Amino acid sequence: MSSGRRSRVLIGGAVAAAVALVGIYLAAGGSSYTPAKTQDPCRDRPWRNPEGIQQIAEQFSLSALDGAACELGVTRETLARALATPESRERFTQRYEIGDAELARAIRAGLLRAVDDAEDAGALNPLVAVPLREALRRIPVDEAIELIQNARSLLDNLQSFLGPAETLLEQFLP
Amino acid sequence: MMALVAIPAAHAARRVGPGRAAAVGLAVFAGASLACGLSSHLITLIAARCVQALGGAAAVTAALELLPATVGSERRATALWVGAGATGAALGPAVGGLLTELVSWQSIFLLQAPVAIAAAVPILTVARHEAATGIVAVELRRTARPHVLANLALAMVSAAIAAALFLLVLLLIEGWRLTPIVAAIVVTVMPLSALAGGRLGSLAPSARARAAAGAILVSGGLGGLALLPKAEVALTLPPQIMVGVGLSLVLSALTETALGGRAPQALHGGWTISARHAGVVVGLLALTPIFTADIAQQRRDAIDAGTAVVLDSRVSPLLKIELAQRIEGRLEEERGRVPTIGPAFEPLPDDPADRADVVQLRSELEDQLDRGATHAFSPSFGLAALLGLLALVPIGLARRVDL
Repeated sequence: MSSGRRSRVLIGGAVAAAVALVGIYLAAGGSSYTPAKTQDPCRDRPWRNPEGIQQIAEQFSLSALDGAACELGVTRETLARALATPESRERFTQRYEIGDAELARAIRAGLLRAVDDAEDAGALNPLVAVPLREALRRIPVDEAIELIQNARSLLDNLQSFLGPAETLLEQFLP
Repeated sequence: MMALVAIPAAHAARRVGPGRAAAVGLAVFAGASLACGLSSHLITLIAARCVQALGGAAAVTAALELLPATVGSERRATALWVGAGATGAALGPAVGGLLTELVSWQSIFLLQAPVAIAAAVPILTVARHEAATGIVAVELRRTARPHVLANLALAMVSAAIAAALFLLVLLLIEGWRLTPIVAAIVVTVMPLSALAGGRLGSLAPSARARAAAGAILVSGGLGGLALLPKAEVALTLPPQIMVGVGLSLVLSALTETALGGRAPQALHGGWTISARHAGVVVGLLALTPIFTADIAQQRRDAIDAGTAVVLDSRVSPLLKIELAQRIEGRLEEERGRVPTIGPAFEPLPDDPADRADVVQLRSELEDQLDRGATHAFSPSFGLAALLGLLALVPIGLARRVDL
């Protein structure tokens, strides 16, 4: 084989190997191996089929997070991490320059959205939804702040909020 | 520092004699290595590293004048000199990682001192002969101009290869959270491939063909690292093999071209060393800001994605809140790094159903973090691949008689 031909074979082989490797990795999803994109909290997020008061409370909390995050202009995920501990809440409010009152108003807006989402999902009877909305509109700011300060109590409080009427509510659950 | 002092060191080697220059260079290198290993401050470490560069430059450029007499021909001397440099550059991160993990970072430097002294022993004979006779064993021929295009291509390829070595080690340790020793073992694939790839050079006598093929393989391998479809060590092996083989072909071809027919060898060897190290510096300067910005952004995206996984998981709500608090604690502890969130899930719940849900959640969360870490390096690997491809321009432009 002549020198020129051997050179062409060497270069051609290099090109073929490089193209093959890049092509195989692209076909295997190399360009899309990225973290999953998070959803815009202002968009509707369908509820999973909730069964029982605890699942309804969980879906309710997630809708409230979406609603509050939409009000504040952050992602649901950022707000969820902010509410995880008192230290993380402090960092969040400093970073985004949000006062406790503004945060409480956003949480209230989120809770109202959660009522709307629960009603749309058929998890809450309109007979319960109407007075619930009224109660949430009047929830004191300091109670809303207390809800914010302990994420666990957000769920516990929602359960206790719904709890006294649990028996009554279950009659209205689909 | 090496890029700046290689040429002056080569001039000095010509004037005092390569034997004396190599012996003194190795002695200075050994002393500076000890100083590096015993440093307790960053400033003294940097200063000692600069002195190491001076000694190393003198020894490496002088070696190119001494080798032909030992191995019988300039061409064979050049091939040996280039091969040693390429193997050393590729093996360095692996050996360094092993020593750091098994002993300490100081051991990297402390081990260099006796190796340098051992290398100086056989050269002392030549140095004594030069001192006794006053004869400098190098003919002071008129200096030919450096081969600009070959050195430019060397700089570009060196920038690309530095990215492959530096970024890959960072991906394995900082991104995928492997230990330094495991990362060191993984990256030995590249130098081993470089050794094997040296045999491919005999397939084509044309230096231009070898240089072009090598640059294409280096770029292809870097392209593969930029498009890793999963955070799996095995998937880094084919790109490493490609980069290693390419490195061997392109460095030998370009260095032979830069040295071939030009005198004095030490000086033109100095030009190639300067070009390679300047390429490494420029490459790292260009890529480091891109990579640090990308990893910060990808960390945020991965944490958001991971949080969504936690929120939407089927783990019971109260357990979910507890896990979220623990994960947040881990994120805060490891701020600025890709976090290791496994400990946040310990101990696992006793209830089998909860345990299964939590194990799945942990797996999904780690997957999102792996995706973020891997994707953070993609633009930098991609840019390095482009640098390697751009080297084809000076390779193609060089005169037919040279390449």
